Amino acid sequence: MSQKQNKPSVDPVIIVMIGVVFLAVSIAMIVFQSNANSVNIAADSGLLSQLTVAFITGLTTGGLSCLAVQGGLLASSLAYQIEQDYAGQVGRKKTKQTAVRTNSALPISLFLVSKLVAYTLLGALLGWVGSYLTFSPMTRAMLLLAIGIFMVGNALRMFNVHPIFRYFSIEPPKFITRYIRKTAKGTDTATPLFLGLLTVFIPCGVTQAMMATALGTGSALIGAALMFAFTLGTSPVFFIVAYLTTELGAKLEKFFMRFVAVVVLVLGIYTVDSGLNLMGSPFSLQNMTRTWFAPQAEVAAPAVPAKDGEIVLNVQNNGYSPGILRAPAGKDLTLNLVTNNTYSCARDFVIPDLNFYQLLPDTGTVQVSIPAQEAGSTLFFTCSMGMYTGQIVFENQ
Amino acid sequence: MIKKTFKIPDMSCTNCAMKIESLEDDLDGVKEINASYHKLEMAIEYDESKLTDDEIVAAVKRKGYTAIPA
Repeated sequence: MSQKQNKPSVDPVIIVMIGVVFLAVSIAMIVFQSNANSVNIAADSGLLSQLTVAFITGLTTGGLSCLAVQGGLLASSLAYQIEQDYAGQVGRKKTKQTAVRTNSALPISLFLVSKLVAYTLLGALLGWVGSYLTFSPMTRAMLLLAIGIFMVGNALRMFNVHPIFRYFSIEPPKFITRYIRKTAKGTDTATPLFLGLLTVFIPCGVTQAMMATALGTGSALIGAALMFAFTLGTSPVFFIVAYLTTELGAKLEKFFMRFVAVVVLVLGIYTVDSGLNLMGSPFSLQNMTRTWFAPQAEVAAPAVPAKDGEIVLNVQNNGYSPGILRAPAGKDLTLNLVTNNTYSCARDFVIPDLNFYQLLPDTGTVQVSIPAQEAGSTLFFTCSMGMYTGQIVFENQ
Repeated sequence: MIKKTFKIPDMSCTNCAMKIESLEDDLDGVKEINASYHKLEMAIEYDESKLTDDEIVAAVKRKGYTAIPA
């Protein structure tokens, strides 16, 4: 009856992915030796070096940045696989074989392959169509909120909090499940593939910078190649982090479902919070904690502009400095956004209340006109994915 | 042909529904199975001259779940 007890000891998918990781690391080491300082996609650079830089950017900043934003979708796709394996284990219970492990490599790989294909197609589309596909910050905020609520609902479903949360699990139409059953023989390949495709709708800041570059190529082929190189670069980090996480979890056996639910819940809350940041809401966790627990130095700082009518914000790789800017109320101001070798999504700068949105240069200064604000009011600013935030507090002098 | 509904309280995801529906391929005399994770039940249309309730319950059990006639 249970004839498929002996699984191969090493999953071939893992071998392939380890190969990809080694290849990625060796290319990174070669390139970084000769070009340590500047990761900059210059218009003049040749196609090959453009692709190499795109790949390295993906491998370094892109991988982690995208994992922070899109990790939730990956976790959700793994959650389905784990649930299935867990259910299988329960089904085969009492046969005393506790060593049935979750096959996490396959869904992760499917997710990444699907993501790779989706972004390559997007790159082609961007190169061809132009700027029509750029989402406004508010659209992205709504999308993040929806995804976050979906994830939180799914986590509560896994915790079995209430039957209503079962409806957060989307039941595919019968003809699709039948098709999947016939083709995949019960393995859920569709979920990670589908969720991998969905990552196109929540690109991280670094990805958006790359999308902007793809847009500027004006060629479907180069745009596709650029996005392919970048997304391929992000894959090793995604795979390693996700695989190690799930393998660690598999050893926890029956507690693993709870563990996954907690991870999805935390990522869901984080995604909702990012959405709130992007809307400029004062009720996001980041904005509330900064307001409540601001360092004394920042609270005590007087509202003195660097130059009359001007304030300065340093846009750094790890966020904005200072986190709280104090400015005089009742008069027009100029906000100087200063970047210096900034490649993180912090340079994709948004002030939701002013409907201001701009991708800053990696090095330079961009000026933003801020109309007079009332005393006691606060303007929130954020990166385009709601990851890095800060605020300008207007006070009477 | 007869149509019956069974409660399946131990489904934990939509994949469980898919697994149960795969009994369509395994059991003789089954015309159609619609399993729902949302409702924790399955509706089965089958030829009662070829299949009994007990056989259905046993087949569902082999898939790892508990079927209770509604």
